[in-house]
Amino acid sequence: MSAQKKRNFQIEAFKHRVVVDPKYAEKTWKILEHAIHEIYNHNASGLSFEELYRNAYNMVLHKFGDKLYSGLVTTMTMHLKEISKSIEAAQGASFLEELNRKWADHNKALQMIRDILMYMDRTFIPSTHKTPVHELGLNLWRDNIIHSNKIQTRLLNTLLELVHRERTGEVINRGLMRNIIKMLMDLGSSVYQEDFEKPFLEVSANFYSVESQQFIECCDCGDYLKKAERRLNEEMERVSHYLDTKSEAKITNVVEKETIENHMQRLVHMENSGLVSMLVDDKYEDLGRMYNLFRRVPDGLFTIRDVMTAHIRETGKQLVTDPERLRDPVDFVQRLLDEKDKHDKIISLAFNNDKTFQNALNSSFEYFINLNPRSPEFISLFVDDKLRKGLKGVSEEDVEIVLDKVMMLFRYLQEKDVFEKYYKQHLAKRLLSGKTVSDDAERSLIVKLKTECGYQFTSKLEGMFTDMKTSQDTMQGFSATQSADTGDSPTLAVQVLTTGSWPTQPSSTCNLPAEILGVCEKFRAYYLGTHTGRRLSWQTNMGTADLKATFGKGQKHELNVSTYQMCILMLFNNADSMSYKEIEQATEIPASDLKRCLQSLACVKGKNVLRKEPMSKDIGEDDAFFFNDKFSSKFYKVKIGTVVAQKESEPEKQETRQRVEEDRKPQIEAAIVRIMKSRRVLDHNNIVAEVTKQLQSRFLPNPVVIKKRIESLIEREFLERDKVDRKLYRYLA
Amino acid sequence: MSMMGIQKDRVRFNVGGKIFETTATTLAIAGRNSMFGAMFDENWNLRPGETGEYFIDRNPSCFAVLLDLLRTGELNIPPNMPERLLYREALFYGLIDHVRAAKWGQFDGNRLNLAGSVAGRAPGDGTAIRAGPDGGCCVAHGSMVHVYNWMLEEYPPINLDYQRVNDAGWIDSDNIVISACERLGRGDGGMGLFSSSSGDLRYKFQVNHDNQVKSYTAGALSFSSDYKIFASCKGRSNEYGIGVWDQVTGKQIDFFYESLGWSLGDADKLQWLQGRNCLLVATLFPRKDNCYISLLDFREKKMVWSWSDMGALITVDEKRVRDAIAMEDTSSICVVNEYEDLGFMDLRSTNGSVRWSSRSRLMKGKMTDEPCYPKLALHEGQLFSSMNDSISVFCGHDWVLTSRLRRSEGGSICDFSIGGDRLFALHSEENVFDIWETLPPPIM
Repeated sequence: MSAQKKRNFQIEAFKHRVVVDPKYAEKTWKILEHAIHEIYNHNASGLSFEELYRNAYNMVLHKFGDKLYSGLVTTMTMHLKEISKSIEAAQGASFLEELNRKWADHNKALQMIRDILMYMDRTFIPSTHKTPVHELGLNLWRDNIIHSNKIQTRLLNTLLELVHRERTGEVINRGLMRNIIKMLMDLGSSVYQEDFEKPFLEVSANFYSVESQQFIECCDCGDYLKKAERRLNEEMERVSHYLDTKSEAKITNVVEKETIENHMQRLVHMENSGLVSMLVDDKYEDLGRMYNLFRRVPDGLFTIRDVMTAHIRETGKQLVTDPERLRDPVDFVQRLLDEKDKHDKIISLAFNNDKTFQNALNSSFEYFINLNPRSPEFISLFVDDKLRKGLKGVSEEDVEIVLDKVMMLFRYLQEKDVFEKYYKQHLAKRLLSGKTVSDDAERSLIVKLKTECGYQFTSKLEGMFTDMKTSQDTMQGFSATQSADTGDSPTLAVQVLTTGSWPTQPSSTCNLPAEILGVCEKFRAYYLGTHTGRRLSWQTNMGTADLKATFGKGQKHELNVSTYQMCILMLFNNADSMSYKEIEQATEIPASDLKRCLQSLACVKGKNVLRKEPMSKDIGEDDAFFFNDKFSSKFYKVKIGTVVAQKESEPEKQETRQRVEEDRKPQIEAAIVRIMKSRRVLDHNNIVAEVTKQLQSRFLPNPVVIKKRIESLIEREFLERDKVDRKLYRYLA
Repeated sequence: MSMMGIQKDRVRFNVGGKIFETTATTLAIAGRNSMFGAMFDENWNLRPGETGEYFIDRNPSCFAVLLDLLRTGELNIPPNMPERLLYREALFYGLIDHVRAAKWGQFDGNRLNLAGSVAGRAPGDGTAIRAGPDGGCCVAHGSMVHVYNWMLEEYPPINLDYQRVNDAGWIDSDNIVISACERLGRGDGGMGLFSSSSGDLRYKFQVNHDNQVKSYTAGALSFSSDYKIFASCKGRSNEYGIGVWDQVTGKQIDFFYESLGWSLGDADKLQWLQGRNCLLVATLFPRKDNCYISLLDFREKKMVWSWSDMGALITVDEKRVRDAIAMEDTSSICVVNEYEDLGFMDLRSTNGSVRWSSRSRLMKGKMTDEPCYPKLALHEGQLFSSMNDSISVFCGHDWVLTSRLRRSEGGSICDFSIGGDRLFALHSEENVFDIWETLPPPIM
């Protein structure tokens, strides 16, 4: 043996702590482990809480926290594996019930285990950054139950199957469903999403893709939308009953995409039941449903709006270009208003008063109203009709409504100046003939036009009203001076019209009867006596007269006639018959007017105070006229109208058009000068754009006309062309 | 029936051999997360032993104190009972939060009572003391930061590469940020986030300039309620300014470079002003020859208010500003000079000058041999300023001196801090800090 015996020195570290019974930790853990078993076996009533709590405390205190924690993990895992087996073994419908029951058991056990291990949860776990007991219990459940091979797919399929059965009309146990879904949510949002929500959304997308395909093949648009709406509501209800509220947006999105978005075009354009049919038939409910469904998908409302716009434009275009409609301007405008009312009602009842739809409607009207160049004239005629007779007995509010509607149409007009022209003419006739129904209504419309187009637009119209008022005062003054010798001489009413404010008329005078001429001269003397420096000329073509006439059987009538007609009839005071030529010579009334007057005096049944030979509808230059002794009427007052073309005749139209164009020239020039004054230098296209912008509230200037006006301004040295860039114009101060 | 009800409500405990009687109602105060809450939960279906009582194998005198706490809401620790013993028992029952809440009252600068002093083991003078959110504190000495919980038990000390610590602050009760000097060329120092209880370094904040990580010295710190950290920073290539980090991600999210002729990177004090959405930065004498105080708006990268004594004729030393604090309620900044004269500046006028208040001049000419510069603090409308060995409390619109906290031992106070309803004062000598608490309200 070797003498050098190896000697091992062992230096033992000094121990601070006297280790308690070496088996202490194991013994204590056994007690706690047993308790956990008992808790899972529903056998906790024999356990002493105090003892268990103290033991768990002591293990942590004596640095056996790790042992306690890992023991907990092992024991709980073992129990969960057993639970997993019993859930797997459950057959058919009892599968979910077993899962639900075991989940409730586990939650209760977890709570009790946490109660025992409370001290560990509060001290050991935070300082060692371990998972707290409750969360640990959920994680172990997730890993051992929910994600176990034999449960995961089965659970998902069961849940999806139940949803499917509910969709096909079966009643399922929603309470159980809610509990299971709640469990998935409790295990964390990622578990709910991965293990249920994602596959649920995929399956739903397939389901609705197939179903919507079936529906669209066999349903009309209205029915399809009803079905889609019901499905959408069902899904929302499902979420509220047993899914996470956050799923609502996702599942409705799926339904919307599959049922609406994918079939949008086909639905809208469906033959006999699509959007156009709904619009035509005023199907407010269907339209409202379509609006509410379509607005949930991208471009949905855009699609509706697009089709609606095209439809309104097309029907509007047909309306304004139909030659049949052009015969009656009042009916024409009334139809426009009806069309507008119809669509306004649809937008308000079905389309939620959507601003973008209102705009689309307005732009459609603007589009087609201006397709017909006579629209401004017709609108003015419509107003004329309303203000002459249409508004009789209508309440003030209703008058306002009608006027507002007219203003709405007026707003669509591009050629507002044309409207102004006609309006002025029609207003003049109304004022002078005293035919206007309501002064208030007239003024109200003027105020509306003023707010729409500014002071300039209505200043002349207002001037007409002022003239009317002034004339009244003048007449009062005049008759006061004449009061002494009224006697037998005719009563005169004169309206003094300021030149310029009124539509210009070719001044065509006629020879007034001597009786009238005398009074006229008196008035002239009176007027020029009170107003110096004025000129007074007679517009005999515009006046009216009331004549007292006695016929054959002593019948007395008051005849309401025009000034021209009065001149003609007065001739028959001295003669019983006169030839056309004689009348023409005596009165010097222009031929066309004369013929019209004679026509209305001799050819209208019931108003024929004259008799014509030969009898015919038209007036010939060789005709002879007789005082109709046999004239009779049941009315004392007989109104003899003039046969007037209410609508303008073709040459008149041309003339008005020309006047409008003439009036536009200075306005365009003024706009060009205003723009150039501030810009100094500008190219052609920009001038056109700016002029158009400035004038669009009155009319849409023609670029060719603008170009002509620019050239004219260059000639007159307001502008010059740039020497280098010929496209540029310069302002010459 | 009513007898039955009372009987049922009554609970008998045998704690370590001593019998206590109480009611289930009293025990319910302990809450579900306490031992009593768990014990009497219906899950446990608990029945008393044959003697009709529940046995608990714990210290009976502590149980008496804790039971009294549940009954009255007040904590009365008998003089012969070590606090540590009581705290340990409270921890066992899950009542430690109840104890902490009852230990001291809601903070009031005029009703403070010296609750204790802790003698530290630090080798050098103190730099800073910072109160934690739940009653603990941390103390910076040289390159070490000592951390104490509310029971004033010391946790392992913290250091950042053993570099000199400039400032420290609590993010929450479990996280402390410390700022330290850099060590040239080593990338040491800067700013780190530590676990308060374990002392582990959890995160080290970086400064990036032009997409390059730079080493830097971090100075004063401030935190905002929207999870930002602000620190004055000094890099080596003129990268001076205020850095901003996100508390959640730890990433640098902003940097305000100091402009020529102004000082930000050397700042002594940062203060986040929530209402104005800007940061007060104060660099003061004697760190620099001049004092610079400014308010920075990071959204517009603009200095929205500034004041400096640059160019002012300095003949009288007393007018040098030694600390500054913004008071958002009155839109003013309070400053203090080395004689504890308080001065005020208006934040609403841009060319501000200091309006010195003569009322507070109480220490004139009574300088101790080893002076500490005055420090200021503001807490719920009360202004605190430290001078020599005492802390003065000022209240009211005109900041009237209302209380003075003073303790003869420990020498001058070099820093103090208010938080978690406590005031901590750090003395420059003897490594001592004091804890001041508000007494519970009177019984009647």
